[in-house]
Amino acid sequence: MIDIALHPGNGLDVGSLIQEGRVHSAIYTDPAIFELELRRIFYKTWVYIGHESEVPKRGDYQVRLIGRQQVIMVRGTDEKVRVLMNRCRHRGAVVCEREAGNVKFFRCVYHGWMYDTTGKLIGVTGREAYGPDFKPETMGLTPAPRQDNYRGFVFASLSPEGESLRDFLGKAAEMIDFLVDASPVGQIAVDAGVSKTIYTGNWKLVGMDGYHPNYVHASVVDAWKRDADSGMGATHREDPFDDKAESRTRDLGNGHAMLDMRKQRMKHYPVYEGFVRGIPGGEEYVKTMLEKHGEERGKLLIALAGDPHVGVFPNMQIINNQIRIMNPLAPDRTEVNMYAVRLMGVTDDFNAVRLRQHESFYGPAGAGSPDDAEIFERAQMGMLADVNPWVEISRGMNREVKDEDGTIVGLITDEVTQRGQARKWRELMTQAN
Amino acid sequence: MTIADYAVLREAEEFLYREAELADDHRFDEWLALWTKEALYWVPCNEEDVDPKKKISVIYEDWKKIDERVYRLKGRHAHAQAPRSRLARVISNVRLADYEQASGGTVTSRFVLGEVRRDTQSVWLAKQRHVLVRVDGELRMKEKWVYFINNDSPMTNLTFLV
Repeated sequence: MIDIALHPGNGLDVGSLIQEGRVHSAIYTDPAIFELELRRIFYKTWVYIGHESEVPKRGDYQVRLIGRQQVIMVRGTDEKVRVLMNRCRHRGAVVCEREAGNVKFFRCVYHGWMYDTTGKLIGVTGREAYGPDFKPETMGLTPAPRQDNYRGFVFASLSPEGESLRDFLGKAAEMIDFLVDASPVGQIAVDAGVSKTIYTGNWKLVGMDGYHPNYVHASVVDAWKRDADSGMGATHREDPFDDKAESRTRDLGNGHAMLDMRKQRMKHYPVYEGFVRGIPGGEEYVKTMLEKHGEERGKLLIALAGDPHVGVFPNMQIINNQIRIMNPLAPDRTEVNMYAVRLMGVTDDFNAVRLRQHESFYGPAGAGSPDDAEIFERAQMGMLADVNPWVEISRGMNREVKDEDGTIVGLITDEVTQRGQARKWRELMTQAN
Repeated sequence: MTIADYAVLREAEEFLYREAELADDHRFDEWLALWTKEALYWVPCNEEDVDPKKKISVIYEDWKKIDERVYRLKGRHAHAQAPRSRLARVISNVRLADYEQASGGTVTSRFVLGEVRRDTQSVWLAKQRHVLVRVDGELRMKEKWVYFINNDSPMTNLTFLV
């Protein structure tokens, strides 16, 4: 058993918690490590905030989290989308008391200070009480030190320095494209509601795992067998979670990882195209996509149906028809918010089918994600028994394949994705503040 | 309210109490049998009222999906209900709207649902609205809408019958 020297302040080498094919369960359970993760991961790297379609009009805002820190994603009067810290520059109150809305300006009700939607301080009550040293132009809502946008996906970093967003995304960027380009006009609207869930477990338990579906989601597989057209059944006709399948796990680098279903779906392309054709507006969709993207790319986009199944480290995943944000609240408490997506350029009925699929599997009453949450809770409970603290993530270590572009590839049940995330974790956690 | 009106209200209440009892006791098949084949089961999320063409809900199901839900929950692999929650719900504030004894109609009510799972007790509160129809002399439900007051907050596990 590791003793109390585990506390990073006591000179613990946090990197030693990640070993070849195994990780120490303290990374999931220890409160001091959790605090270090906030500083060295969430307050350092690029963190996904939201999609610009969530703030379509001037004055629209959404309040999100970077670790514990509330930020406001707001479209200003100049049409620009900014990420501003939700904290009045006076005495620190949040200026946005609601989660989302539309305002002409932010008014702090503590003492009446006002900011416009670009963050500029435009009103100080009793201005005469301040001397010449008070410079209102320096007292606007603090912007997140770095902000950037990839195809409408707004990211922010609380660290003023570091690699660009594009470099950080690396090979994950083209995976994000698979969702955006599932729209015939290359636009998505993240305005279809959000499934808000919470579980008693660590944030890192939400990974990319192709090994669990046949066990955790056995009840769904069972229901599919009963009726192959039920819910998600139509999109998983042959078992893609069998090592014999063409599906793969991919470590894209920088902690990003995916379940790569591309080859598996292309192998059964007629089935996937048939399913899309059966949706209202589907025939038109198939025709438009093939015309716009050509046969090869068009078919891939149709077959994947906007689901790259990718995790963008540390807090976001694109799965099925959703953009998912994981918020770490405590070592053993995590929020998972699943934002449903509508594709622009298709009929309402076409999108409605996708929304029904989301409801079928995801959300607190879904057939799938509550069982994931249940398993995470059982893992969190189990890991407290740390006489032997090692968590095995060695599956498939001896059969990894490296692509030319550096991507590490494994069979669908291999723990390539877990190892990729662990590697990035160690890299960030062993950098001094 | 006349005695006759009150009798009509009591019959609707008894239906809701029976539904609650079956749901509390995980009597899935009997609960499913309360539904008519033309069914709408709707638990919105985020707001009280959403356009299902454009937004997701927690549950938005026809009879086929309700049947699938029950099938899954009865099985051995529904881990989020293994062990099953202990449930006790209290139905109150029952009112009839647009309702005839012969054919049924709309019934609104509220409930407080106590749930214990793994030593954690949760309390869920909701407004609900049923459309009841009379089939072969018995009341059955055609529509059920449930608005949880916490439907825009993080929810844990709502996989038991609500």
